[in-house]
Amino acid sequence: MRIVKTVVAFGFLLTLFVLLNNSLGSIPPLGKFLNPFAGFWQNGAGDDSFDEVLDVKGLRQGVQVVWDERQVPHVFAENTYDAYFAQGFLTARHRLWQMEFQTHVAAGRVSEIIGSKALEFDKRQRRRGLLMGAEVAINTMKEDSESQLILQAYANGVNTWIEMLTPAMLPLEYKLLDYEPEVWSTLKTALLLKLMAWDLTGRNTEMDMSIIRSALGEAFVEEFYPDDTPRTDPIIPAAKPWRFDPLIPRDSSYNFEPQFVKELRKGEPDKNNGSNNWAVSGKRTASGFPILANDPHLGLKLPSIWYEIQLNTPDMNVYGVSLPGAPGVIVGFNDSIAWGLTNAGSDVFDWFEIEFRDENHTEYWYQDEWVKADIRVEEILIKGEKAYLDTFPVTRFGTTVHFGEQKGENGNPVGLAMRWSAHDPSNEMGAIRDINLATNVEEFLGALERFDSPGQNFAFIARDGDIGIRHNGKYPLRGQDQGKFVRAGRDTTGEWRKWIPMDQLPVITNPWRGYVSSANQNPVGKNYPYYMGWEYDDYERGSRINDRLKQMQRVDFYDMQQLQMDNFNKQAKRILPFLIKQIEESYLSGEELVVLEDLKEWNYMSDPGEKAAWVYKQWWLHLEEAIWSDELNLYGEIREIPTRSVTEQLLLKNRKLVYYDDIQTGVKEDRKAIIHIAFERTVADLTEAHGPYGEAWELGRARGTNINHLLSVKGLGRTGLFTGGGSGIVNASKKDHGPSWRMIVELGDSIRAQAIYPGGQSGNPGSVFYDNAVNGWARGEYYDVHFLTSPEVSTESKLKLTHLRNYQ
Amino acid sequence: MISILATLILVFLLQLVLYSWWWIIIIPLMLGFFEKDSMFLASVGNGLGVFLLWFGMSLFQWNNEGEIIVGRVAEVMGASSGFVLALATGLIGFIVAALAGYSGFSLRRTLIKEYQIS
Repeated sequence: MRIVKTVVAFGFLLTLFVLLNNSLGSIPPLGKFLNPFAGFWQNGAGDDSFDEVLDVKGLRQGVQVVWDERQVPHVFAENTYDAYFAQGFLTARHRLWQMEFQTHVAAGRVSEIIGSKALEFDKRQRRRGLLMGAEVAINTMKEDSESQLILQAYANGVNTWIEMLTPAMLPLEYKLLDYEPEVWSTLKTALLLKLMAWDLTGRNTEMDMSIIRSALGEAFVEEFYPDDTPRTDPIIPAAKPWRFDPLIPRDSSYNFEPQFVKELRKGEPDKNNGSNNWAVSGKRTASGFPILANDPHLGLKLPSIWYEIQLNTPDMNVYGVSLPGAPGVIVGFNDSIAWGLTNAGSDVFDWFEIEFRDENHTEYWYQDEWVKADIRVEEILIKGEKAYLDTFPVTRFGTTVHFGEQKGENGNPVGLAMRWSAHDPSNEMGAIRDINLATNVEEFLGALERFDSPGQNFAFIARDGDIGIRHNGKYPLRGQDQGKFVRAGRDTTGEWRKWIPMDQLPVITNPWRGYVSSANQNPVGKNYPYYMGWEYDDYERGSRINDRLKQMQRVDFYDMQQLQMDNFNKQAKRILPFLIKQIEESYLSGEELVVLEDLKEWNYMSDPGEKAAWVYKQWWLHLEEAIWSDELNLYGEIREIPTRSVTEQLLLKNRKLVYYDDIQTGVKEDRKAIIHIAFERTVADLTEAHGPYGEAWELGRARGTNINHLLSVKGLGRTGLFTGGGSGIVNASKKDHGPSWRMIVELGDSIRAQAIYPGGQSGNPGSVFYDNAVNGWARGEYYDVHFLTSPEVSTESKLKLTHLRNYQ
Repeated sequence: MISILATLILVFLLQLVLYSWWWIIIIPLMLGFFEKDSMFLASVGNGLGVFLLWFGMSLFQWNNEGEIIVGRVAEVMGASSGFVLALATGLIGFIVAALAGYSGFSLRRTLIKEYQIS
């Protein structure tokens, strides 16, 4: 009997051990997680303070780190190796989990951490070739000894930090997900750069456009999906002459109907634009020195996307934001140059339908013969399960991501391959290094020539007074509309064979008007000889920025702040009075009339406390749906509707249009009716969502902004931020997207900069510095940046010094 | 009292150096085994020792710059406050250690009967 009791007791004990030592669904292993000696209890704000001296294995000489009041490290190193080693070490100290997890996301290795529920995601990532592209990139970077040195120094710094970690010091998320960091490699840095490229260039509408063209015809596409967005004020003034002999592309678009593969869209980045940059010449500023402003917009997350840092060596002094996991500064300034980025939006990603010989998918039809594909086998490790092997062919037209369900026209199986510029050899790391070192515009533009992907608009100012902007990147030479639709990958006609020469890319320096700007709009006017794509952002932001810069005199930092936070809704100003006129007021209820009155009195500023801003936005979305989505959805789940500016133009100019009718209703609506009905629906929907017309309808409450944790764990993000702005507004803040970094820099006798980003330097949710800048960011505040010239710190200063001592 | 203290001090020292949570099984199991007379002491005594240690240590960490993390994790875990979280931590420690202590005690009793050890 006693033995039975003992066995039962041990049975219970063993069960309890297993339960507490392992994750159960999303519940972390409670024994480990709650352990007050190594679990989450150890992730407090203790790591917010620093040692005065820290012995660090692997440095060549000592490094001085000055910490400012926001925990920005100012690194003073004697040599290049130590500077990047320290950057890796310090970034890992603050952001290890984030940087490592994102390499798992990029490489399609999430199943290793959370099990088979991520298998489909991992397969997609592998087939999209992020890992393949990173491998190609790392081989290219290795050919350049300086790039290799920097990457390796950074990796060594990260690994030294990992070695110093005790179980108690592991970042919270490792404890939540129950795994440990692995050794950092240079490949991981390349993976992060590919992930950024994917986020900025991975959206593709060719499948939608092909279906729209085959269902509604060429004329429909030409009229409603034009290559030139109406009213655009291009980045490079349209009048600029281009004095070079352009290359002639082989051909342009042609008719081909691909098989519809809906899955192509899964996991694609959203259509979200909002980045702005501009540079103002000293002729127009109060100080007489040039000023640069930049706010790159991205999906907002915690820990923050960026890590702020200053790197100082005898040959370099650079300040700005870095990508956690990559050496160098991506957006910022040095002693001579300041630069800022917006996404270029030119087309660097095409789909090709490939015809395979048989179901083995090892050979495909190209130039009238069967050609062998390279076969890539990806081993996907899965937590707690057997590894999964995914095999797919890589063709001249890129990696085959999907296979069609039906046979092609010749009875052969077909697949869709993606040709993406980020698969090609390039060395962005070398470019970033050279940008950080540049001492004048010539060197800066030279450095950009190596920055192939992702394509970016680089606005810049130089201390000697130059300003300029360049639409930068490696872009395939295309005929008109080539890349607007899916093509057949059967021969050389649609193949990427040549590139727009770097010295023929759109660029302008020191224009007479005294400023340059970009806001993701079309980079050029009609006289630029190359076709680069058609999906640029609408005219509103770019045009508003230029309107404001044109009016401003004696520009100072305050003007730049006001412009970055500008909530003027240019589209509303143009079309809202017209929309309001179409309303038949006698049909409206009392509440609807109150809402309409507020719209009539609205000054078009989409401020957070503005109810009309939110009503207008919703009204517009209802209108777009009533005009376009009803028809387009007949042909599958088309998500690509004409742009705001096209719809706006139609409404203002065309009284009659067959598409005004909402085919889901029994009656036939005309323009006036559809506008009126959309308004009534808006008020009804908003009443249902927010209750009676009142405070809850304010833009900052009804929409606001959420900054979720990377894992979307409730409690680790910041939600319900009271923000204004929106699409087509210079302050393009949205629900979960917005300015990831706001920076203003003046390069004068002294260098002055202000900046802020929605988060904080620490990745530890238990730190004060995890989200310390979020509230100020939402209110439009800025910090003064310390651009230090030496590590000397006075005793009364808020700055703190850590000496990283070389320890063998 | 002494046995409670023995559990507390031994587990504290081992966890301070070696971190792993399962010391709250190993130590009570051993102490339970060597507890000759009282099943109550072997189980509840060990349980209380670990409860005091884990609850106390949680409160200490909470108080030691842990306010932010404890607030956030309480929200993640659906706990109403940091105190509830600390109490839950202590209680889990109690249950595990008490069961381990009882198992050790029971094992010894079984061995005494089967192999006549004393």
